[in-house]
Amino acid sequence: MHSSFFHPVTGIARFAWYAGAVAFSVLIIFLLQLVPQRFRRYVILSATFVGGLFYALEFLLPVHLMRTKADPLHMGNFLTPYLVPFGVFTQIVFAATVGLGVINMLQVHGKRLIRRGKDSAFSLAFLISFALMLLVTLLKKVHPNAINANYYRLLFDGALQSLDATMFSVVAFYIVSAAYRAFRVRSPEATMLLVTAILVMLGQIAIGILLTSFLPKTGVWHNLRFEIIRDWILRKANAPSIRAIQFGLGIGSLAVALRIWLGLERGSYFENQG
Amino acid sequence: MLKVMQNLDRRYLYALLILAVALPFFFNVPMTVPATQSTESLYDKIESLPAGSFVLFGGDWSAGTRGENRPQSEVLIRHMMRKKLRFALIAFADPQGKTLMQDIAVQFQSQYGYREGVDWVNWGWRVASGQENFLKALAQDVLTTAGTDIHGAQVATLPVMQGIRTGRDFSLIIDVTGTASYQAYIQFLQGPCKVPMALGTTAVMAPEAFNYLDSGQLSGMLNGVQGAYEYEQKLGIEGRATRAGLSLSFAHLLIIGMILLGNGAMLMERRQQKRASGDRS
Repeated sequence: MHSSFFHPVTGIARFAWYAGAVAFSVLIIFLLQLVPQRFRRYVILSATFVGGLFYALEFLLPVHLMRTKADPLHMGNFLTPYLVPFGVFTQIVFAATVGLGVINMLQVHGKRLIRRGKDSAFSLAFLISFALMLLVTLLKKVHPNAINANYYRLLFDGALQSLDATMFSVVAFYIVSAAYRAFRVRSPEATMLLVTAILVMLGQIAIGILLTSFLPKTGVWHNLRFEIIRDWILRKANAPSIRAIQFGLGIGSLAVALRIWLGLERGSYFENQG
Repeated sequence: MLKVMQNLDRRYLYALLILAVALPFFFNVPMTVPATQSTESLYDKIESLPAGSFVLFGGDWSAGTRGENRPQSEVLIRHMMRKKLRFALIAFADPQGKTLMQDIAVQFQSQYGYREGVDWVNWGWRVASGQENFLKALAQDVLTTAGTDIHGAQVATLPVMQGIRTGRDFSLIIDVTGTASYQAYIQFLQGPCKVPMALGTTAVMAPEAFNYLDSGQLSGMLNGVQGAYEYEQKLGIEGRATRAGLSLSFAHLLIIGMILLGNGAMLMERRQQKRASGDRS
């Protein structure tokens, strides 16, 4: 049954499906707007529960051989064929949320600019950057000539990439300053941390590795090479601690996921909207 | 003097860091370093793949981590091209990943006689929030889930996708990232489809990934720029990582030097104070 709905459509029929999808989405949004405020909570709860139930049942129910065009050895249950349309559907839903995010950003910064509020210059910078990038990208798509490609390169490589890289690079300056001021041997624990940090750093850089490269590559002395010490610290001392933390995080995530799935979670979507 | 050594103005530190990072770019000092076990394993994994094998390559990074992730992506793509492997690029963590990975593949394709659509394809960016669902679907049906490439072409019609139907048809999954995006690959693609997986990650994220290396879920890993540097030496090329290697070393040595300076001054001051209080008593 699912293949009659979820299959690629090409040609003119594709545009009919586009139009149908838009009309359907508008209808759904319109109907959702009609739902009284106190019942919206239950709409969200139901959608969350059904979505979670689908993946839970698909994972837990017994599987059997289900030959498909893509895979003659395919194993699954009656829900498995819907994984692909569900996967594509969630991409569409999440893409729509990106669109909502853009609308929200435009509203927030637009209002601030109109009211000439605090930091409105930053809002203006955002709106100009957004409009420019959008315009140049659309131009490049519609008229893919050298001029438009160069404009795009100028904004993407020249501005966005450089600014993004610069923002991240600034961290290095803070690290140098913070390490110099904070790493002090004031207690045995702090001394241990400092020695460990220095050993890991020396094992992580070429010059550090070369400093102990005179040591043999096998035998007992081999263990004193910086890269071996670094590996030992990371894999034998650090990894087990992180593993323990990850176990805790995993159990915590499971509990949170269950609370969200069953509508027990407290938060704006589950309480304030009600 | 000892007080000054403990409280140097941060602007001097910043200036020293700029010099430590920038100056080495003007000198070419070749340094041969042994590859770590995780780098070696990744190299061996790619070497063991027969020509024509299909690799799914996640480019989950943006310009923020370009310093580490770009050399890693470059060296791995060059190795795949040298080995005549087919590959598909995909990005989840950041929309920039799509364009950055495309640039790298286009940069090297003529050197290795590669053609887009025939030897490699870029599936583009998919929303990170839906990564798990997308990968679950991809494991079932690659062509329908991937849909179109970044130029709008149906991936099912591209020669590069010949014989690729489900996640089990991948020979290797690689994720180059500064995020935890690789964990979704392990949970929803590597594990269920039993496909080997490798990782290229920023040095700050690497400690978390060692767990997956030890469990065998990751077949190899590049740890920061140093990992890419080691890999370039394995391939016998001088790329971005080799050029950045000396800067990386100098920046780390500066940090170590400043820590030792601050601590040395503090310990000497303490000794002086002890002596002074001993003299008084």
